[in-house]
Amino acid sequence: MTVLLIKNFLRSKSSLTGLLVLLVAGLISLNIGKYFLEKNKEIIEKTAEYQQKSIARNVAFHPKEIGLLLYYVRFGLVNEMPNLAGLSIGQRDINPSLQSVTIRNLEEQKYATDLMNPLYQMLGNMDFSFVLIYFFPLIIIAFCFNLISEEKEEGTWSLVLSQSVNPLKMLRLKVLVRYASVLVVLLLLLLVAKFYLVIPFDATFLAFILTSILYVSFWFSLAWLVASFQKNSSQNALILLFSWVLLTIVVPAGINAFTVTLYPVPEAFSTVLESRDGYHNKWDEPKEPTVAKFHQHYPQFSQYKHPEGKDYSWLWYYAMQQMGDDEAAADAQAFKEKLQKRNRFNSIAGLFFPTVHTQLSLNALSLSDMDNYLHFLEKLEDFHEQKRLYFYPKIFTEADVSGEDWAAFGLDYFKDKADVDWLRILFPVLIISGLCVVWAKVNFRKNFMVG
Amino acid sequence: MLQAKNLSKTYGEQTALNNLTLTIHEGEIFALLGQNGAGKTTTINCFLGFIAPTSGEVRINGISVGENALETKKHLAYIPETVMLYANLTGIENLAFFSSLAGFNYGKEQLSGFLSKAGLQTSAHAQRVGGYSKGMRQKVGIAIAIAKKAKALLLDEPTSGLDPKASNEFSEILRELAKKGTAVLMATHDIFRAKDVAHRIGIMKEGNLVSVIDAKDISANELEQLYLQTV
Repeated sequence: MTVLLIKNFLRSKSSLTGLLVLLVAGLISLNIGKYFLEKNKEIIEKTAEYQQKSIARNVAFHPKEIGLLLYYVRFGLVNEMPNLAGLSIGQRDINPSLQSVTIRNLEEQKYATDLMNPLYQMLGNMDFSFVLIYFFPLIIIAFCFNLISEEKEEGTWSLVLSQSVNPLKMLRLKVLVRYASVLVVLLLLLLVAKFYLVIPFDATFLAFILTSILYVSFWFSLAWLVASFQKNSSQNALILLFSWVLLTIVVPAGINAFTVTLYPVPEAFSTVLESRDGYHNKWDEPKEPTVAKFHQHYPQFSQYKHPEGKDYSWLWYYAMQQMGDDEAAADAQAFKEKLQKRNRFNSIAGLFFPTVHTQLSLNALSLSDMDNYLHFLEKLEDFHEQKRLYFYPKIFTEADVSGEDWAAFGLDYFKDKADVDWLRILFPVLIISGLCVVWAKVNFRKNFMVG
Repeated sequence: MLQAKNLSKTYGEQTALNNLTLTIHEGEIFALLGQNGAGKTTTINCFLGFIAPTSGEVRINGISVGENALETKKHLAYIPETVMLYANLTGIENLAFFSSLAGFNYGKEQLSGFLSKAGLQTSAHAQRVGGYSKGMRQKVGIAIAIAKKAKALLLDEPTSGLDPKASNEFSEILRELAKKGTAVLMATHDIFRAKDVAHRIGIMKEGNLVSVIDAKDISANELEQLYLQTV
C-alpha cells in the first residue's frame, strides 16, 4: 500500500513541482548564504590589510606625537561568524561583524557602521531559514490541505471506507509519504549546505538540523489536525493559509510591536546626546575639573597632570573624550539592559509560536542573533578599554612613536559560542506538535465514519 | 447475512426511509427498484455505515453496523453508482491498492485475473485510470468487489455506464458469487436486469418498501406493470 501511495503522490505533477520549488528555493538560499559568508570574509581580509597600511601611513605622518597618532589609528575587532550563519543570517546583515575603533570615546563609535542598501534590510535575505520558515509550510499546506477532502470530493472515499477496517491507517500512511518527501528535500538541502558552506558537523549543526526537522513536523501536525475536522478542501486551505499568515507574519510583527511598547528605549537617543555633550562642552569649560574627573576614574594615572596655564594637553584631550563615555555610561547601561529585556521577552513569547521559536533558535545556533551582538558589544567595550589602558600612559609620557611595534596591531577576534540547550530548543515545538496530533486523534475517534 | 430491522431515516421533516425491515440470506440476490429519491441509496448507505439511521438497526453477518461499523467492513464489498479511482495509478495498481486496504496482497497475475474476470480488456490493465471511460472504471470497481471475497455485496446501480454485453457479463458474475454464498443487495433502475438476475425484488416508494416479489413468480412485463402502478 505504501508503494502505491508513494507512486500516486509522485505521479501527480503538482507534488513534484512543489518538491522541486522547495529544492530550487533552498539551493538559491544556500547560494545567498555562501555569498554572504564570502563577502564577510572578504571584508575582514581587506580590513586586516587596510588596518596595517593605515597604521603604517599614520605612523609615517605623525612620527613625533603619539597622542595625535592615536587620534587617527583604528583597531578592528572581528565578531567571528560561523559558517552556519550562511544558513541563518539573522541580524548579521544589520549588525556589523567587524568594528574598528579608535581609543577616543566609544559610545559614538559603537553605532557608526557601514552603509547598507535599505531595500535589502527591508526585505531581509532569502537565506535558508527564510525558505524553511516561510516556503516549506506553504508547500506542506499544498500537499495536505485536501488529505481527506480530495478523496471525498473525487469520490474515492466511499470505496476506501467500504474496503478498509482501518481507513485511518491509510490516511496516516498518506500523510507520512508527504512528510517523508518533504524531509528528503530538507535533508538533501542540509547535506548540500554541509559541503557547500563547509559547515562542521557538531552539536550545533545537529541542533540546527533537528530544529528544522521539528519545524517541518509541526506544520504536518497542524495540517493533520485540520484534516481531522473533515471540512471540505476550500475550508481546509483557508484555515491553513490563515494559520500561515498568523504564525509567520502577524504574530512575529505583533510580538515585536508589543516588545517595543513594553520596553521603550528613550536611552537610545539620550545616550547619544549625553555622550556628545559629555565631551563637546568640555572645550568651553576649565580644563582642571575634567582632568580631576579623569583621575577619579583612573587613580593609577593621577601622577600625570595637565600643565598649568596651558590651553591644551593630550591628557586633557583624552580625559575629555573619556567624559563622553563616562557621562553616557548610566544611559548606555540602561539601554543595554532594555535590549536584553526585549530579547528575553521575545524568546519567552516565542516558546508558544513555532515560527518565532524556530527563527530565534536557528539564529542563536548560528550566532546571528541579538544575544551574540550584545556579547560582541561587551567584548568591544572590553577591547576598547584594554587599548586605552595600554596607550594612555604612553600618551601621557609622550612616548616615542618609533618605540612601538605598530605592525603587531592586527585584527582581534571575538569567538562567541552557541549555547545548545537541547530542552529549550526542541521541547516547545515538540509539545505543540504533540498537542496537534493528540487533538487530531480525539477528532478522528469522534467522527471518523462520516462518509 | 444482511439484516435491516425497522430502519428509518428522517432529515428534518422529510422521511428518506420509513420502517424498513429486510433480510437477505446467504446466496441470495435482492434487487431494489424505485424512482430517484425512493430510498434505495439511503438503505445501502445505512448498511455501509455512511448514514446513521434515525431509528432501527442494520446488521451484517450478525454484527451491528451502528455499534461496530469498522468491523462490518470485513464482510462487505461495495460498488458505487460511479466508481471513482486514483487517476494517477493504473487499473491494476488501483485494484492492488484497494485490495491492500482490505488486507489482501495479490500477485500481479491474480490481480490481472480479477480485472479480466470483471471484463476489463487486458490492454487497459497497465494504463492509468485517468484515461478510463466510466464503464472501464465500473469494471475495476467490480474487480475490487470480487477480489475482496466478501460475504455481502452492496451495489448501488452498479451497471450504470456499462454496455449491454458488459452488463450481461456482470449478471453472470453476480450469479456465480451468489452460488458461492454471497448475499447481494442491488439498487437498480433496470427492471429487466433485476428480473434476470435477482431472486427477490423489492419496490420502494417514498422511503417505504411497498412490495417484495419472488422473481420466478413474475415475468418482466408484469414486473414493469407492477412497478409503474406502484410508483
